[in-house]
Amino acid sequence: MIEARALTKRYGSTVAVSDLSFTIRPGVVTGFLGPNGAGKTTTMRLILGLDYPTEGTVTVSGRPYPQLLSPMHEVGALLDAKAVHGGRSARSHLLCLAQTNGIPRRRVDEVLGVVGLSGVAGKRSKGFSLGMSQRLGIAATLLGDPEILMFDEPVNGLDPEGILWIRNLMRSLAAEGRTVLVSSHLMSEMEHTADHVIVIGRGRLIADCSMAELIARSSGQAIRVRTPEPDALARAVAAAGGASAGAGDGDPGELEVTGFTEQRIGDIAFANGVRLHHLSPSRASLEQAFMELTADSVEYHAGLPESRQPAHLLGELRWQQ
Amino acid sequence: MAAVTASPARPRAVPAEGHRAGLAGTLRSELTKLRSVRSTYWTVFMLVVAGVAWSVAYCAGEASRWPHMSLQDRAGFDPTQSSVVGLALLGQLVIVVLGTLAITSEYSTGMIRTSLTVMPRRGVLYGAKAAVFAAVGLVVAFLTSFAAFFIGQSLLASTHVSATLSQPNVLRAVIGSAVYVALCGLFAFGLGAILRSTAGAMTTAYGLLFLVPELAKALPSSWYADVERWLPGGDFVNVITGTQSINNSPHLFSVWGELAVFAAYTVILLVLGATLFRTRDA
Repeated sequence: MIEARALTKRYGSTVAVSDLSFTIRPGVVTGFLGPNGAGKTTTMRLILGLDYPTEGTVTVSGRPYPQLLSPMHEVGALLDAKAVHGGRSARSHLLCLAQTNGIPRRRVDEVLGVVGLSGVAGKRSKGFSLGMSQRLGIAATLLGDPEILMFDEPVNGLDPEGILWIRNLMRSLAAEGRTVLVSSHLMSEMEHTADHVIVIGRGRLIADCSMAELIARSSGQAIRVRTPEPDALARAVAAAGGASAGAGDGDPGELEVTGFTEQRIGDIAFANGVRLHHLSPSRASLEQAFMELTADSVEYHAGLPESRQPAHLLGELRWQQ
Repeated sequence: MAAVTASPARPRAVPAEGHRAGLAGTLRSELTKLRSVRSTYWTVFMLVVAGVAWSVAYCAGEASRWPHMSLQDRAGFDPTQSSVVGLALLGQLVIVVLGTLAITSEYSTGMIRTSLTVMPRRGVLYGAKAAVFAAVGLVVAFLTSFAAFFIGQSLLASTHVSATLSQPNVLRAVIGSAVYVALCGLFAFGLGAILRSTAGAMTTAYGLLFLVPELAKALPSSWYADVERWLPGGDFVNVITGTQSINNSPHLFSVWGELAVFAAYTVILLVLGATLFRTRDA
């Protein structure tokens, strides 16, 4: 259980996190979402006591993190997989972490086995690929068999196999009853992993709800339909009280229908004798919803109207063109 | 949520009992950190080589020149200083690197975030780090100093003026040289904790140990006489490593006094470093 209350962090005049309150509950994967620069990493640093909040408090299992007696047994955190001394072997790296909490040496070899690094345990981590570094970082979080796990953008730069491995690991850790907090700026990634989402933008809380709720609330039930009779379907949908529009990718047979579930659209089409070739929730809609949700809080926009772009940036952009 | 009820029953691979974060474990951890990177071995090796090689080269050279030396030169010859001054002069260059890296490598690699996550009590982490480095630095400096002394004296045996530890001020010079070198390492460690940058801390340490004492010589001589005893590094290294009476350097404190002044600077830097380490965002 992680509880933040009115958490605020300012660096000089920059407000990184502003009046953030949330509770992260055990037994589920909580996705921590926001565009780049939204304050996700800062929030995680505040949770871990690496940075001190300007205002507000954050507690882990009821205490400020620095007061935990067995920090590795309570929390395993991976902020940056490359934040290791590259000259140290994987085993020595894990050993020096384990020793601080009196965790026995055999546990080091155990976790190396869990993440599949036993074969390179004696190798210096300098030569590790990003995927291997990520595994080493995850091994470090597992050393103390912690109740709470925190991962900051764990799938960044990983290959599909690595992504799948991390996704499954997080799900199984949560299934064991642990608290899992994982940050990402990719909605699509979270869709497959998180049960609960906390969305922040510019350091402020935008949404704190279950994934299902977020999807229901934001996707607007846009359903993508392909039919050889788009006009007939559009009329039928309109007659039933829904709305439809061309999907906008040049194919006149592609429609985006809103206001109905997939089943209802199928039934409407069947009742009106319209053939359907394809019927699915629009994949773009969740991503779209996330972008709409955070649109006002993205730190650096691309493609703003000229009037809203800072002059010095414009000069650069023109020069590049 | 149904899953919430699962946590109490889950068997834990690592039981909570007895696995507390504490000073003893952190000391072990810091020793592991120091032992598991090559730069430590390189710098310790360089420190030993600097001390011993100087002693061999200088003492062997003096021994071969001895028959042709004037009586005046022979009278001014300090066999103890000949064997240990190399450790102080060259060793300080090397141990500054080791002391700086002991703390700044945590920042340059980002390891500090991991270190503070597993040991969030910052005072304990800082203290363990400084203590382990101080212990290693002292042991290496003492072993090198005594090795340089004995090797040097055996090479000077033919001159029949070689020193023994029981002669006046000899033990003082051998121990003083080792203590000075170990203090230089902690001096750099403190600067590293304050500046958090390898290059910045090393440059500042060299500047304070070598440049400031030289620049001070540009002062009017009456001023210099007043400040000389308060300077870090510089001429007092000659006094520490020698067996002569302090009367030859009227503007300095005694050898132990000068070491105490330097130790005070070191403590100030270490305390300032500790304060910043605890209060700054990592």
